[in-house]
Amino acid sequence: MAEDAAAASAKRKVTFWIFAFVGGMFGTAFFLKTTAIVPQPWSMAVLIAPMLLLIPLVRAAEAMQRQTGCASAAAVRYNRRILFASFLYVIGLGGALMLFRDSQVSKPVAALLSLMPTLPVFGIIWAMGRYIIEESDEYLRARTVNAALVATGLLLAIATFWGFLTTFGVAPDVPMWAAVPVWCFGLGIGQFVGKVRGT
Amino acid sequence: MKNRLKVLRAERDWSQQDLAERLEVSRQSVNAIETGKYDPSLPLAFRIADLFEMRIEEIFQRD
Repeated sequence: MAEDAAAASAKRKVTFWIFAFVGGMFGTAFFLKTTAIVPQPWSMAVLIAPMLLLIPLVRAAEAMQRQTGCASAAAVRYNRRILFASFLYVIGLGGALMLFRDSQVSKPVAALLSLMPTLPVFGIIWAMGRYIIEESDEYLRARTVNAALVATGLLLAIATFWGFLTTFGVAPDVPMWAAVPVWCFGLGIGQFVGKVRGT
Repeated sequence: MKNRLKVLRAERDWSQQDLAERLEVSRQSVNAIETGKYDPSLPLAFRIADLFEMRIEEIFQRD
């Protein structure tokens, strides 16, 4: 019973930090967009501040994992790697946008600039792959692999449908970098379905 | 697959966490195996059998 209460308390803390993080990010973005106090390329730098809320969020998530019995060394490493890559992504994206808008850049330089937000995303993909390799708990690994399959299926389905919508002029083109956020969304759905089914 | 994990654990007065620590897996794994939602791999099934000093088929049975 005490364990259940502690787990419930840990879950509440995670929920709190999720709301704080999402609210902080959207709130800051909304503030920057509506007030235009900070010029747009620099506004990405301001977004680093609410991103710092990821640190208590990850810590709360790790505490919850310990309470609910699904903490593992691999999961802790995964969380840290994702956190680090996410910070690099915001810095890389902000930096690339700033350099791209402030000067007329040649195509080769623009290609190099595109690597600034891309490489941290490669880091995120690598961290996901490493987690599946490093996770020694076969049940947790199987659960993640199942969720990844759901995510992959969802991404393929959405990409195919959206592709034909654009072919027939119904929907606008979407940048291909949207694949990773869509896949991560699918991973979340897969994990939720796994949790509800208890598998 | 059915199993007698819960009974065997109760006989020894172990919590799921106790069993998880002895098997070096997560408590969620123990819970998923106990409730029949996850069938362990053969190596893990052998570890479980070794821990309870029983044969695998004495712990796990066909549905």
